[in-house]
Amino acid sequence: MLSFTIRRLFVAIPTLLILIVFSFLLMEAAPGSPFATERGVPPDVLANLEARYGLDQPLWTRMGIYIWNIVTGFDFGPSFIFKDRTVNDVIAQGFPVTLTYGFWSFAVAVLIGGGLGILAAVYHNTWLDYLAVGISVGAQVLPNFVMAPILVIVFTLWLGWLPGGGWQGGQWQYIIMPVIALSTSYMASIARLTRSSMLEVLNSNFIRTARAKGLPMRRVIFVHALKPALLPVISYLGPAFVGMITGSVVVDVFFSTGGIGQFFVNSALNRDYSMIMGITILTGALTIFFNLAVDVLYAWIDPKIRY
Amino acid sequence: MKKAFLALTTASLLLGSVAAFAAGTHPATGENLADDQTFTYRLLDQFPTIDPQLIEETAGSHVADQLFEGLTTQNAQGEIAPGVAVEWTSTDNQNWTFKLRDNATWSNGDPVTAHDFVYAWQRAADPATASPYGWYVEITQIVNAAEILAGEKDPTELGVTAVDDQTLEVSLTQPLPYFPKMTAFATLYPAHKTTIETHGADWTKSENILGNGAYTLKSLSLNEGFELTKSSSYWNADSVIIENVRGLIINDSNQALTRYEANEFDLLEPLPPGQFPALKEKYPDQAVSVPRLCSYYYAINQRGDALGPIQDVRVRKALSYAVDRDVIVNQVLKGGQSPAFSFTHVATAGFETPEIEFGTWSQAERDAKAKELLAEARADGVEVDGLNLDLIYNTSESHKQIATVISQMWKQKLGVEATLSNMEWQTYLDFRREGNFDIARSAWCADYNEASTFLDLVTTTHGSNSGKFSNAEVDALMKESKTLADPQPNYTKVEEILANEMGIIPIYHYANTFLLDSSIKGFPFENAENTWYVKDFYRVAE
Repeated sequence: MLSFTIRRLFVAIPTLLILIVFSFLLMEAAPGSPFATERGVPPDVLANLEARYGLDQPLWTRMGIYIWNIVTGFDFGPSFIFKDRTVNDVIAQGFPVTLTYGFWSFAVAVLIGGGLGILAAVYHNTWLDYLAVGISVGAQVLPNFVMAPILVIVFTLWLGWLPGGGWQGGQWQYIIMPVIALSTSYMASIARLTRSSMLEVLNSNFIRTARAKGLPMRRVIFVHALKPALLPVISYLGPAFVGMITGSVVVDVFFSTGGIGQFFVNSALNRDYSMIMGITILTGALTIFFNLAVDVLYAWIDPKIRY
Repeated sequence: MKKAFLALTTASLLLGSVAAFAAGTHPATGENLADDQTFTYRLLDQFPTIDPQLIEETAGSHVADQLFEGLTTQNAQGEIAPGVAVEWTSTDNQNWTFKLRDNATWSNGDPVTAHDFVYAWQRAADPATASPYGWYVEITQIVNAAEILAGEKDPTELGVTAVDDQTLEVSLTQPLPYFPKMTAFATLYPAHKTTIETHGADWTKSENILGNGAYTLKSLSLNEGFELTKSSSYWNADSVIIENVRGLIINDSNQALTRYEANEFDLLEPLPPGQFPALKEKYPDQAVSVPRLCSYYYAINQRGDALGPIQDVRVRKALSYAVDRDVIVNQVLKGGQSPAFSFTHVATAGFETPEIEFGTWSQAERDAKAKELLAEARADGVEVDGLNLDLIYNTSESHKQIATVISQMWKQKLGVEATLSNMEWQTYLDFRREGNFDIARSAWCADYNEASTFLDLVTTTHGSNSGKFSNAEVDALMKESKTLADPQPNYTKVEEILANEMGIIPIYHYANTFLLDSSIKGFPFENAENTWYVKDFYRVAE
C-alpha cells in the first residue's frame, strides 16, 4: 500500500511536467498577445513589457526558467494582466474562496445525494423512491447557470433573505447560494449512482444471508450494504471533489465570489500566460492528488483490491 | 418634578432633532440628506490596475478619478474646472504655466507639489514603465514625449518643469489650446515618488497606496469588489458628502439587474442589451440614456494587398449607403444611440457636426444610389458579382446582431455576401492589426472631449487606423488643425473627405444607458465623457 502510494506520487511528477509542457505549447499556439491593445503599443514599450515578463527569451528557455522557479521557490510569476498581483497572490485570494464553497457543496451533495439514493433503494418502487428519483432528475436538468439567477430572484429580490453576491471574507450568508447552485447537479448524480449500486448490493447473496440471520434492517444497510454500495460512488467523488474545489466559472460569475474558476477562464481570454499556467498546474496537481486519494480509499473499502 | 422632567425631555428631544436636521441637510440645496452616505455601483469587469499611469480602460479610471486628482478636473457639464491647479495661463497656447493650490495633500499628509506631476508625467512616458497609455503623453505634444517613448531620449528631458513647489511649467511642440483640459485624465495624475519607489508594482495595493483625491482605497478583492472611504486630508474634504464608495463586480448583466432591483446598489451600468425601453417604462425616474463619446464604425481594409473591389470608392460607398442605420439604432440597440454619417460623435464639445450629403437623403434614396454605384463599378470591370466579404467582430451579442443585420442588408440590396467571423478580443486584435479582414467592426472612444481625438484616427500613421485609410489632404488638414485657433473648418473638411472617400463606414454614435437610484443626486448627466466624481454626489433621505 505504502509503496503503491509512493510509486503513484513519483508518477505524478512526470505527469505534471507533461501538463506544463503541453499547456505551454498550446498557449504559445493561440493567436493574440497579453499586451495587445486597441491602439497598439509602441515598439519600445512592447520590448520593455516583453522583457519584464521574459517573453523576449526563446520558448524553451522560458519554459525552463518557469519550471525552475516553481520547483525552487513555488513561484508562479507575476500576472500579466493584474499589475500589482502575482499569480501566487491571486491563488491565495481565490483558492480559499473556492475551497470553502467547494467543500460545503461537496458535503451537501454527498449527504443529501447519498441519503436520497439509499432511501430510494431501500424503499424501492414506493412513493419515497419515486420522490427521490424525481428530485434527482429534476436537479440534474437544472444546470447551475439556470439555478443561479433563479436563486437570486427568489432569495434576494423576492424574499430579501440573502445578499445577491459577493464573498465578504466568507460570511455564511454569502456561501449559501453558491453552494446550492454548485451542489445540485452533483447531488443528483450521487443520488442516482448510490441508488442503483445500493439496489444491486441489496439483491446480492450476502445481504440475503444477513437478513436471513434476522439482523435488523438498519444494521444490514449501514454495516453490510453501504460500504460495497459506495464503491462506484467513490470513483465518481474524486473528480467531482476536484471539480468543485477548483471552482466553477458559473458560480464565480453569477455570485461575484472572486473564486479561482473565473480567473482560469479570464486568464485564457486575456492571454495572462502565467495565470493560465498557475491555475492549470494547481488544478492538475489537485486532480492527481484526489485520484490517488480515491484509489487508496478504494483499497480500504474493498479488501479484494490489491495494488 | 415629573412635569419638569417631561419638559426637559421634550426640550432635549426637540433640540436633538433640530441639530440632526441641521447636520443632515445639503449646504447648498437644503435637501434632507440620508443618514447612510454610501454610494454603491456595479462594474462589469475587474479592472487590471488603478495605477494612474498604467490605466488603459474606463472601469479603472473611474476608480482612479476618486483616488487621485489632476491639475484640472471636470464639472457636471464636462467643462474644465480647477483641480490641484487653481489657475493656468499661456500667451501662445504652447507654453503653459500652472499655479498649484498650497493646501493640496496626499493621503498621508505630504503636500502635493509640482514635482509630483513632473515625476508622474516622466513616469508615464518612460518606456521602462511600459505603460500601454504612454502615447497619451505623446498626443499632449509635450516637448520630447515622442522621443522618450521611442527610447531616444531620457525621461528627464520631458518638457515639464517644477519651477517651485506650486508652479509647473509645460512646453509643447506646437500650440494646443485644449492642453489644460487633457490634464484631467488619469495618465497625467500626480504620483507619490517615495511610495512607488518603496513598494514597486505593489504600491497600488490597499495597504500601500497613496492618493491625493477625495477618497482612499480601503480594500480590494479581485473579481468581487472594492471599497473606498472619504479622505480627511483631501483639500476640499468639507464639501464631500458621500462617506463610502463601494464597487461590486458583477459580470452578468441580468444578474446585475436583479440585484439592482433588490436595492443592492445605486448605479447599474451598462444595462442588458436591448432592455432600455422596457426599463425606461418600468423605472421612468431611474433609467437614463445620455450620449457617450464613442463612435461605432466598420473599418474597410484598404491595404495594398487587400481585396480588390473594396478599393473602389463606389463599392465602399454602396456598402455604406446600404446600411439602414435607423434599423440598427431603433430596432437592434434601442438605447438612445444616434445614427452616424460622420465619424466624430455629435456630442463632442465645441464640434459642429457637418452636414454630410448622404445623411440628408432618405434610406430609399441611399439604397437607390448604392445600387447605381455598384452597377457603375460593375460596368467599369470591378468584380462586384459574387463579392464575398470577410467581416470580423469581437464576441458580443450586440456586435453579432449588428453584423447579421448589416450582412442581410448588403445581401438583399446589393447581392454582396459577407462571411461573419466572431472572435474573442485578443484574437480579433491580432487579426485586425495584421489586416486579415475585409471589414472589421470597430469603435473609438474619446480620450479627451475634442474632435481631434476622433479625427486623428483616420490619419495615415495612427496606430488604430486599422483599415489603413490614407489621404494626404486629411493628414495635412489634421496637422494644420493643431495650430489653429478655430480648427472647425478643418474638421468639417476632414469629415467631408471621409464621406466622399468612404474611408470607414460610420454606423452609430454611442449612448450610455444606466439605472441610477433616484436618491442619488449630483450625478453629471451632461458630461458626455461620462466622467464622474463621487465627491460631487449626495444621497437624499427617501
